[in-house]
Amino acid sequence: MPQPLNSKDASLFRQVVRHYENKQHKKGIKTAEQILKKNPNHGDTLAMKALIMSNMGQQEEAFVLAKEALKNDMKSHICWHVYGLLYRADKNYEEAIKAYRFALRIEPDSQPIQRDLALLQMQMRDYQGYIQSRKAMLQARPGFRQNWTALAIAHHLSGDLEEAEKVLNTYEETLKIPPPTSDMEHSEAVLYKNVIMAEAGKVEQALEHLEKVGHRISDVLAVMEMKADYLLRLDRKAEAEAAYIALLDRNPENSLYYDALVRAKGIPSDDHKAKKAVYDSWIEKFPRGDAARRIPLEFLEGDDFKQAADAYLQRMLKKGVPSLFANIKSLYSNPAKRDTVQELVEGYVATTPQSNGSAEGQSGADNTEFLSSSYYFLAQHYNYHLSRDLSKAMENVDKALELSPKAVEYQLTKARIYKHYGNLEKAAEEMEKARLLDEKDRHINSKAAKYQLRNNENDKALDNMSKFTRNETVGGAMGDLHEMQCVWYLTEDGEAYLRQKKLGLALKRFHAVYNIFDTWQEDQFDFHSFSLRKGMIRAYVDMVRWEDRLREHPFYTRMAVSAIKTYLLLHDQPDLAHGPLPSAVADNDEERKKAVKKAKKEQQRLEKIEAEKREARKAASTKSVDGEVKKEDSDPLGNQLAQTQDPLKDATKFLTHLLELSPKSIEAQCLGFEVYLRRGKHALALKCLTAAHAIDASNPTLHVQILRFRKALDSLSEPLAPQVAEVVNTEFEALLPKGQNLEEWNNTFLSTHKESVPHQQAGLTSRQLLKPDSKPQCEQDLIATLDSKDITIDTALAGLELLSEWGSNHAAKSAYVEKASSKWPEATVFRLD
Amino acid sequence: MVDILPLSSYPSYIDLLPSIQTCNITNLPENYFLKYYLYHALTWPQLSFVAVVRPKNGYSKYTTTTENGAGSAAEQYPKVVGYVLAKMEEEPTDGVPHGHITSISVMRTHRRLGIAERLMRMSQRAMAECHRAQYVSLHVRVSNKAALHLYRDTLGFQVDSVESKYYADGEDAYAMRMDLSGMFINWAEIERKDRERAEKDEKDADEGDEVGELGKKEEKESTEKMVKVKVGRGLGVGDLVEKNEAQASSS
Repeated sequence: MPQPLNSKDASLFRQVVRHYENKQHKKGIKTAEQILKKNPNHGDTLAMKALIMSNMGQQEEAFVLAKEALKNDMKSHICWHVYGLLYRADKNYEEAIKAYRFALRIEPDSQPIQRDLALLQMQMRDYQGYIQSRKAMLQARPGFRQNWTALAIAHHLSGDLEEAEKVLNTYEETLKIPPPTSDMEHSEAVLYKNVIMAEAGKVEQALEHLEKVGHRISDVLAVMEMKADYLLRLDRKAEAEAAYIALLDRNPENSLYYDALVRAKGIPSDDHKAKKAVYDSWIEKFPRGDAARRIPLEFLEGDDFKQAADAYLQRMLKKGVPSLFANIKSLYSNPAKRDTVQELVEGYVATTPQSNGSAEGQSGADNTEFLSSSYYFLAQHYNYHLSRDLSKAMENVDKALELSPKAVEYQLTKARIYKHYGNLEKAAEEMEKARLLDEKDRHINSKAAKYQLRNNENDKALDNMSKFTRNETVGGAMGDLHEMQCVWYLTEDGEAYLRQKKLGLALKRFHAVYNIFDTWQEDQFDFHSFSLRKGMIRAYVDMVRWEDRLREHPFYTRMAVSAIKTYLLLHDQPDLAHGPLPSAVADNDEERKKAVKKAKKEQQRLEKIEAEKREARKAASTKSVDGEVKKEDSDPLGNQLAQTQDPLKDATKFLTHLLELSPKSIEAQCLGFEVYLRRGKHALALKCLTAAHAIDASNPTLHVQILRFRKALDSLSEPLAPQVAEVVNTEFEALLPKGQNLEEWNNTFLSTHKESVPHQQAGLTSRQLLKPDSKPQCEQDLIATLDSKDITIDTALAGLELLSEWGSNHAAKSAYVEKASSKWPEATVFRLD
Repeated sequence: MVDILPLSSYPSYIDLLPSIQTCNITNLPENYFLKYYLYHALTWPQLSFVAVVRPKNGYSKYTTTTENGAGSAAEQYPKVVGYVLAKMEEEPTDGVPHGHITSISVMRTHRRLGIAERLMRMSQRAMAECHRAQYVSLHVRVSNKAALHLYRDTLGFQVDSVESKYYADGEDAYAMRMDLSGMFINWAEIERKDRERAEKDEKDADEGDEVGELGKKEEKESTEKMVKVKVGRGLGVGDLVEKNEAQASSS
């Protein structure tokens, strides 16, 4: 029912809208209230007031008001539109779309409503709906190029390449004369059409098109790259060669261009000589470049390699390039090359005289730089996992530091050597020394903080970070790190808390990273309209596609893995919700209760401190100018997160994205199994096992999980539903046949993977699961794995954790620790807690 | 081995933005939301570049031609060791279209390989070619000797002014700039030739029908035209560009 206002109030209403558009919230509210005094049930005014309140951060009150508005005027498109906007602000996009649709039904020609609907459909990837909206918008205003482009994008993303191309063509045909080259919107749209052609597999046609229009397109580099790629795909070798030469002339530091050039020249991959000649010609052209010198080291072998490596290494060492080793180490997957490099650089330090300010004068200084660079190189070489000899690494880094005591990189490497020794305290200390050598450099500052976190020194690390953060931000340095989306730090901080069993704080950080990813996903929203205005639609389409797989990024994977592990721990040991507990108390009920009580008390104490800090801040700060309420975090320690009723359900939130976007990560699949098995979802657990099996059938973690799944099926508290049981039994048969003798199966696994410690650990874990009375022998065998020459400190630490998992007694653990400590005397990570 | 790649070209490396953001916040005190990086990448996609360590199995994730590379997607994200984030000045106070370097950095572990220089050159060229930037400007800490050396001595920037307390910690900045007009593409010439060709095609279509003065004017330039058209058409954009640069450097 339309609710007419008298002319004075109607003019006031227009003012409300204007105030809203100009973000003059307080004035808007005041004016709205003026209308409502006389017309308390006026729907549109109530709706506008709600919208303004929502923009001021009063979301809950706004919703109440918007509902009242609707109740008063169900037939108002304004009320429905506002209702949709509130849902949109709440990120409830499904409901928002529904509300917009209602509004549009009442007012079918409203451009703003149609537009808001379209934007949400795009955000939700409702391509069919988006196509419909875009068609309507195009029909309403066919004179705008944007509307044509948008419809093409809608078709393209929905997978209908042909229709997309057709729409772009239809618009182009309306152009009587080609727009000037300065018209970037046109230039981009033309290139976009070309991309669509190529994506449809019409490479030849795309090339033809590009040759006709490419010379007018402003993104010169893109045209060159596309043309070169098309030519190579069409096997038009001579032209492709010319095209890649042109690209290399612009950018000789791109190995992809060289790869393509070699292919275009038709050089067989084993013709090293011909390949080398190509690269040599580019060295001549760009003597200061790196790629043309460096790439041949990848394919050259034997003496050719030695000669080329010698020239490369000497040149870089003489220049004192600190990144030399970082640039070389990828060659080490080839042991012969690794040994050659070692031999060469050892040769340099053996034959270069240490200058002593003798008669040579000038060259003496050069020698020092060459020598210290070489020692530095060797330090990194012997510190690298494929060529590790830590005592040699330490020797060399000390020599390098003796020659250049102020070199930050050298000191940094010293810290890294200690890390590999398994001495995290010393590593953090040495990195702190490196930081002090250049206090204005944030990179070394970041490293120092990271090493402190690895050593579980959260407060010290934050103190270091605070030297570069904006500490006036709400929440201080930590607040700034959140605001600036410093994912690496939040993840490391959380992992340090997880190691200390401070699960609340750990979860707090992981959720923060999770929320940052949500923000990044939300970030795309504005670009749905922005990019159409700017016309840079290829980049926009690339962004849309990237957003669809945003959480495939290793930053997400790593955080999610840690978060799920935290929740699993919380599920298995619910007492940890109250804070860290000494692990020894687990067996003794009386002591355990005492420890939990103590932990709770400590938790309350910390909470109280935080609450007091909060109050103090509240008292000190005045509200912001616009009446906006800054929300204070009511759970800075994450205690509410840790005290969840259902940790496994919370873990699933992290797991779902992980399994969807990183299905090829075996770690993700194994964690999925752990969550689903505990939730009693056997079919899903098996799905993870099957996926893991397809990735690496002999993975040690998988081996134990297969056995645990068998045991779980054998001891179900209630039988599986018949359909589930049938699927599970059939599929599991492929991983572990029912008739299989389990001990035999495990023994085969152990003997097949004799040389690998992780596999031995898995086999022994399985054995003591199968035969609990074999535990003492398994413990002995596990301790014996420490004799393996290939075992790393990390693997050995995993072994120590296994003993806890097995419920082994103190004697077994201390025997393990003793042996590990004598094998790695510098390591401090082997501890009984 | 480090590759210099355009951030949003063909293929797009826009999925490296989170890693670029990390590179920035690890190295520099001036940090930004991811959205600000997106804003650059979607407004001036041609101007930003990234330096990455070439992955062991190549860039299989990014190429459509090769089949799926081994390993999980995560293993295929190359390590970012440097980037340049650049833009066009949106409302230039001097009214002259010009570019601006928003942020550039190279990881300490990968310095002195010439990465920053290459990143800068790529960005500058794109500013001139695509956006017809007359010059590029940037700010640098007065204490940053290495960067100053790169901009002034290697690339040819000049100090425009000193901006007092430009940085949040109170340090002054040199405002520097460098002329880019030498890298311009002669778009007017390209358009003129296209026009001539179109007119010629039309003329060929309806033979003999002279159009008075216009036709005569065309004739005067026709010898020159014939040669030039051949160069432009036969060799494609790349060669046109090279030619243009050669002209620029000789002048």
